[in-house]
Amino acid sequence: MQIAVLSGKGGTGKTLLSVNLSYLAKNSIYVDCDVEEPNGLLYYKIPDIETDDVLTLYPVIDHDVCDGCQKCTDFCKFNALAFILGKVRVFKELCHSCGGCSLVCPLNAITEKEKVLGSVKHGFYEDTEVYSGEMKIGEESGVSIIKELLNRVSNTDKTVFIDSPPGNGCSVMESISQADYCILVAEPSIFGLHNLNMVYELTRKFNKKIGLVINKASNDSIIYDYAKEKQIEILAQIPMDLELGEMNSNGEIVAKNDKFRPIFESILNKIDEEVQL
Amino acid sequence: MIITIPTVTSGEKSFVSDRFGRCNFFYVYDTETKLGKVYTNIHKDGQGGVGVKASEFVINQKTDVLITPRVGSKSIDIIRDANVKIYEATNEIVKTNIERFLNNELKEL
Repeated sequence: MQIAVLSGKGGTGKTLLSVNLSYLAKNSIYVDCDVEEPNGLLYYKIPDIETDDVLTLYPVIDHDVCDGCQKCTDFCKFNALAFILGKVRVFKELCHSCGGCSLVCPLNAITEKEKVLGSVKHGFYEDTEVYSGEMKIGEESGVSIIKELLNRVSNTDKTVFIDSPPGNGCSVMESISQADYCILVAEPSIFGLHNLNMVYELTRKFNKKIGLVINKASNDSIIYDYAKEKQIEILAQIPMDLELGEMNSNGEIVAKNDKFRPIFESILNKIDEEVQL
Repeated sequence: MIITIPTVTSGEKSFVSDRFGRCNFFYVYDTETKLGKVYTNIHKDGQGGVGVKASEFVINQKTDVLITPRVGSKSIDIIRDANVKIYEATNEIVKTNIERFLNNELKEL
């Protein structure tokens, strides 16, 4: 069972929800797929966490063999190859490791080499199993790291909580690809609504079961009205609360506190009714 | 000498584009023949690496001088490697920028 938490806008509470839900749920795994800025480990503090490199491939050109036909530079959708002053130049950070350039090269002048794209960390916090991906600074696409993370949890019978990246791009699509249920998190603002709408449409395209959590809930009913209109189930409204905000910003797991635990327990119960955790 | 400028609309009366990789057109001007050519930027809506493609275009036009308000970090490396000089555009039209460059009134980036 995989539950993905996504939001569109950053800073709405994806990590708050996925950390606290995975902490309370029995037999669960937390996976931080926000590889550009992972912060789940600020809550799940694990000394001596196990770390493995994630490698990807990038093209290397044999300039003695290349005759400058430019089939590879025309082929690359991501413009990772350019023909400059009679030579093909490779921009590793732009490469998505599809391998297409080496296939279209009529002279076999292109071979693929491995490079370190980032890392996957793994450990345990009390009973919760924790995975976190991290992309190296300067890299542009973390999709391979997310694939590796999901690969590691693909054959488990535990409940997997996926902390997605913000937005609705490639890396978000990758992180919800196997999800059985998606929790959308939104805050009541115009920007929040706009980005909620983006991820809502994405989950519709992927035909996912969804529920909505309104975080930093106020008197503003902008998100509530939207959920009514689209007939999205509201799992919870987490109030704008100074104490909760302070604890969370100090890296504490707020579900350990009796005052806040019921919020997350009721969300788990509602999801359980939908998909049987 | 060849001068290349990213532009908003086509021709010498266009404003210089704020964006290099995602500009609409390139204006390529030859100071010897005093003729300018307009090229559409076919990569402007690409998913990524458009600066790389724009730099490739600039260099393959045998450009000596690029006049633009700004360039990204990857582009600047590629363009400087090819010994193309980059000058900072003013917010005036293309024609004025070329005149200012020829009168040594533009700053090198």
